[in-house]
Amino acid sequence: MTITLSHYLFVSAILFASGLFTMMTKRNAIGILIGVELVLNSAGVNVVAFDRYLGPGRLDGQLTALFVIVLAAAEAALAVGICINVYKNLSTVDVDTAARLQG
Amino acid sequence: MTQHSYEIALALGILSPLVSFWILVFFGPRLGKPASGWVGVILGMGVPLALATYVLLGWYGNDVETRAQLTANAFRYHWADLGSVPATIGVKLDSLTVAMYFMVTFVAFWIFVFSVGYMAGHSDEVDHQSKYHRFFAYLSLFGFSMLGLVVSNSLLFLFIFWELVGLCSYLLIGFYFDRAYASRAAIKAFVTNRVGDFGFLIGLMLVYFQLGTLDLDQAAAKFAEQYAAGTGLFASNYTLFGWSLATIMGIGLFCGAMGKSAQFPLHVWLPDAMAGPTPVSALIHAATMVAAGVYLVARVFRLMTPDALMFIATIGCLTLFLMSLIAIVQTDIKKCLAYSTLSQLGYMIFGMGCGAWIAALFHLITHAFFKAMLFLGSGQVIEGCHHEQDMRKMGGLIKKMPVTAYTFLIGVLAIAGFGIPGTQLGLGGFFSKDEILAVAYVRAFEWTDYTRHDSHDSHNSHGGHAAMGTEQTSREFRLVSDPPSTPHSAEMPAKHGEFGKASIFKNTPPLPKWMFMLAIITAYVTPFYMMRCWWMTFMGKPRDHHVYEHAHESPLMFWPLIVLAAGTIYSSYYLFRPMISDASLTATAAPLVLAVDGAAHNPAINTAHRWLVFGVGLAFLVGFGVAIGIYMHGLALAERIRRSVWPLHTLLEHKYYFDEVYEIVWVKGCIGLAKVCRFIDTWFVDLIFNITASATERLAAFSGLILDNQGVDGFVNGVSDASMTFSDYIRGPQTGRIRNYVLFAAAAATIVLVVLLIYTAQSGGDAVVTASAVTE
Repeated sequence: MTITLSHYLFVSAILFASGLFTMMTKRNAIGILIGVELVLNSAGVNVVAFDRYLGPGRLDGQLTALFVIVLAAAEAALAVGICINVYKNLSTVDVDTAARLQG
Repeated sequence: MTQHSYEIALALGILSPLVSFWILVFFGPRLGKPASGWVGVILGMGVPLALATYVLLGWYGNDVETRAQLTANAFRYHWADLGSVPATIGVKLDSLTVAMYFMVTFVAFWIFVFSVGYMAGHSDEVDHQSKYHRFFAYLSLFGFSMLGLVVSNSLLFLFIFWELVGLCSYLLIGFYFDRAYASRAAIKAFVTNRVGDFGFLIGLMLVYFQLGTLDLDQAAAKFAEQYAAGTGLFASNYTLFGWSLATIMGIGLFCGAMGKSAQFPLHVWLPDAMAGPTPVSALIHAATMVAAGVYLVARVFRLMTPDALMFIATIGCLTLFLMSLIAIVQTDIKKCLAYSTLSQLGYMIFGMGCGAWIAALFHLITHAFFKAMLFLGSGQVIEGCHHEQDMRKMGGLIKKMPVTAYTFLIGVLAIAGFGIPGTQLGLGGFFSKDEILAVAYVRAFEWTDYTRHDSHDSHNSHGGHAAMGTEQTSREFRLVSDPPSTPHSAEMPAKHGEFGKASIFKNTPPLPKWMFMLAIITAYVTPFYMMRCWWMTFMGKPRDHHVYEHAHESPLMFWPLIVLAAGTIYSSYYLFRPMISDASLTATAAPLVLAVDGAAHNPAINTAHRWLVFGVGLAFLVGFGVAIGIYMHGLALAERIRRSVWPLHTLLEHKYYFDEVYEIVWVKGCIGLAKVCRFIDTWFVDLIFNITASATERLAAFSGLILDNQGVDGFVNGVSDASMTFSDYIRGPQTGRIRNYVLFAAAAATIVLVVLLIYTAQSGGDAVVTASAVTE
């Protein structure tokens, strides 16, 4: 059995769906962050897979995946910083509690 | 003393009360009760009195020529131009001014002193602040105005100060302005004076337009000039009731005097003016301001024609007779004195009209002393009797207030003309009234003889006059007919004789005999009502024990009485008579004055005079006798007499119904006119306004309620309401929960994807590739 593009996309879709589901259901900020990482990585898998099957011999997809990883790292650093600050102020990282700016 | 020292002294004396006025206006409340009074006494009148004494003493030291020189060189400052007529500020420096100035300051000073005590118990409060300082502020302002009036040498400033004294009179009559009768009396006085001042203004305008100057001396010179040439005022094409324009002018000027000196028929305000505090009645409504009218006539005497003088004499004669009769029936002590003042003012005005210039002014001064004293005495009585003014409730007060009673008696004697005929012993009224009557007698009975006499030998009459000026001791029985030997007499009669040839007075008609008769009758009535007043107040048995038991004297208030009593005795013949006689040389320049004065005192012409002296001199005996006879045993006899002549009594009690007639004619007339005006106003003027107003109102209602509220505001509100509603809608999804946002985003992305897939399925397989390319 050969592994086709669809297999990659399927894995990626599962990753994306579980990431999305995590974001939608978790109230813990760290949990949401993990969901975001899953979504980003599913996008990375997609990009690399498209690059491998639709444009062989080019590095565009790989480079974009690297960017996504760097972005994810930066975003994680920022988001964890925010979480620590939220925790300092509210003694919790429950996103429903941190609704002070809600109109 | 130099020229300037007189003028500066007089001017400082005028300004000092003004300073006092300002001090009292601004710092009066802080100075408090006795202090503000003493400021008024010292600064308001003490300083002027000192200066007046200084001037008087200096003036006494001058001979006639020096005085004439001083008068001629008097200070005049060119202040402004009224068109082509210059308005000058200056001092009228002559014997009359000096005498009047001294009289005013002297009498006023003692009245101020009296007020310090009297007003302590008679100044009510306004806004929880005593009106005590206010009283002295007004009095000081009055002092300023009155002295200014005396010193003015121009008719313009005379008029300005004239109005100022009128204002002070108004303020002081209405001093108790929260009592209706006082404010009504003040308004009455002011309005009545306006009537007179209207005439005064007409006179002033004629002087301004016809004589082209407002300076008294220049106007007189111009007047004589126009008479000689028959132009201007004497041009024959202007006549009214057969009077020339000059006569109209004279009568116009006299109208001012009629108002201020309360002459018939404008006398109605003076009795009501007694609503003011008693010192005011003494100072303003007896001694000084009301005499200002006489002073005015004296000052403009050179602008009078024989017709105008006859008018003046008639008015004065009616006043002196009618008012003395009213005084008989008065029961209020102040009203009684007020009517006696009216009657005496009538004497002065009558004297002026007869040409008795000297005698009238002499009477003015003697009257000021004794009438001020009488009023202060009445103030003392009113104060002592706890504000009781009704003489019927008094009686027997001599035991309780002896000083007041005896000083009052001196006043009564003075006004009654007490004196011993044939000697130099007598009080002021004796000499002054006798002189007026003597002149009236000459004018009424000996006038034809006199004119013939004058045309043949003018020296005789003028010689008589000159003797009066210099030899005071020779009176009725040693009258001089030979030419006197004083240095000025050689030229003075000659000068006046010359002027006399062209004089306006050469055709002066004789006085109607009834005028003289009325004056003589009044000379008998005066002692009667004055004695009645004194007897009812001080003698007999006390009629009201409540009043009697409370009666007392206050020391601060009886010293002024004693001083003024002394003044009354001394002022009789020696102090002021020569001064006024001297003033007549420069201030009248009218041969009539000199002629009648000479003739009246010349036994060669006026043989009846010695009998007149006895007749008048003994009048007080008759009057006193009748008064004492009636009132000796209480009021019973008076009551019987009253009932037997009730129509006359009622007439007098109602003051000849003057107030009632004026009420109907003038007050009701004014109100009627006002009603007509109101009708026109309501139905013509207001109608237009009302229509315009209601149209505007409706337009405004339309523009406000419909255009603005519903149009403009509706639009603005609609916009805001719409955005509010819309905002509410889109606010719903903004829950602030990230999970919801993610859900929405995912759902939206799913919907877009589903739509895209359906669309692609319909249009062929390439769409997926295309979409992938887009994503890439």
